[in-house]
Amino acid sequence: MNLKKYLTLTRAGMIEALQFRLSFVIIAVGNVLYLIVVYFLWKSIYASAGTDIVNGMTFSDTLIYLVLATALFNFMEMYTVWEIGRNIQSGKIVLDLLKPIEYRKYLFWSYSGSFVMQFFLTFLPTFLIVAAVTHGTIPLGINLLYFIVSVILAVSINYSIDYIVGTICLYTESIWGINIMKQVIVLLLSGATVPIAFFPEGLKQFVLHLPFQSIYNAPLTILLAKDPAPESVLRTLGTQLFWSLVMMIISKLFWKVSLRRITVNGG
Amino acid sequence: MKKKNLRFYIRIYFKILAQDLKSKMSYRADFIISTIGMILTNVSGFIGFWILFRNFPSINGWSYHEMLFLYGFSLVALTPVQCFFDNNWNLRGNVYSGDFIKYCFRPINLFFYYQSEVFDIKGLGQLAFGLGTLIYAWIKLGLAVTPLMLLKTLVFLLTASLIMIAMQNAAAAACFWIENSFYVLDLAMRFKEYAKYPVTIFSPVFRFIFTFIFPIAFIAYYPSLVILRPDEVPVLSWLSPVIGIVFFYVSYKIWMRGATRYSGTGS
Repeated sequence: MNLKKYLTLTRAGMIEALQFRLSFVIIAVGNVLYLIVVYFLWKSIYASAGTDIVNGMTFSDTLIYLVLATALFNFMEMYTVWEIGRNIQSGKIVLDLLKPIEYRKYLFWSYSGSFVMQFFLTFLPTFLIVAAVTHGTIPLGINLLYFIVSVILAVSINYSIDYIVGTICLYTESIWGINIMKQVIVLLLSGATVPIAFFPEGLKQFVLHLPFQSIYNAPLTILLAKDPAPESVLRTLGTQLFWSLVMMIISKLFWKVSLRRITVNGG
Repeated sequence: MKKKNLRFYIRIYFKILAQDLKSKMSYRADFIISTIGMILTNVSGFIGFWILFRNFPSINGWSYHEMLFLYGFSLVALTPVQCFFDNNWNLRGNVYSGDFIKYCFRPINLFFYYQSEVFDIKGLGQLAFGLGTLIYAWIKLGLAVTPLMLLKTLVFLLTASLIMIAMQNAAAAACFWIENSFYVLDLAMRFKEYAKYPVTIFSPVFRFIFTFIFPIAFIAYYPSLVILRPDEVPVLSWLSPVIGIVFFYVSYKIWMRGATRYSGTGS
């Protein structure tokens, strides 16, 4: 594989992201506000509960889980659905399809630049702040390595889901509606709004068998595990790998089938 | 030129509204999907809320039904901003592309004309959902149904709406000064998520911040106290209608100042 052409796209994306420096500041302000709200909300929840551990999670665990879930969300949100949808409406997609590179890859790699920037400018600072605020609740060891692997798999699953949803735009003309549905479903069922540990038992079992929990719940559980048994880590990563492959195949096939019926008005 | 009275504006609003609905109806699939998306958003918000309260009977002295009241109250209060001021979301695009200049040449109030162009029917789904929640909580809490109570509810719902509208106007107007102001608007919209929690969960410093700097507490908390806890209504609750009107006026001025400053793109 010729990596150079992909890395050029990454570089272009980084430069583009740097054009909008102010937006990083605003995103950071938003994240800090969110952090404050989540902190106090769960603090009073735990104070009212009267016990330190609820559903196997301490206050610090919950805080880290939710804040990092948001940080991961910001980091992984690539607006793929919007991009595909708009390109279909404007007809620009024709030009992209003519490029000597698979559209799926082109889109991913043009975004990889903002990935890199988002990682350093929003995810890493959030991570460090949370690690400092909760003094040492995040175990620093081999789990960080697992966490990175897990996040990479999560990015892949998330992208495939986005791509499938984006492909639906070929049929519907609706972007906002499709995107909001996806976002709501993914955020709720992945445990990003309320940790999956708090779900009622039946719902929890159901959710654990869906691909969405592999996006946020899996990496965060791996990160927070104090003494992870190797087999449980392997099982989590294996599940992620499974979903990552399944979703990738579905998204590729769905795109291929859908492309036959594409209608572009001008462009 | 004759001063245009309220009747004139109401008549013209319905004329513009009819055009908007006609154009929406030509994208029926989009309309249906967006409506489902909106309902899903509310349902999922509610599920998150429900999961949380399954685990904890009360938060900071607020019972489940009181929290539900706050939740429903904030949903209903957010309906006007969703229905009548949704065109704010397109402001940045219009300013950026130069299309905004067309609004500047109309012989009626610029702000009025711009906002009246879009009526978001999806908001009505939210209204129904919010009203349902509010009425349910009202019955469960055993609140009295007297004309005075209903009048109070109406006044304070309007107050809360005005504050949210004001925040959105001001955030949208940021696009007249800053490029890529999407994140400002996005941030303002995230506030409404936090509005459904009682401000007493925060420490004094943040209580101050969320009351006076980012006035999130005025969207649901202060206004609803008048109905929920009539024995301990703080001065700020009684003042909130005035604050709402002042905020709205200030945001209107900011918006108009930005709009009159606008010089088009030359296209």
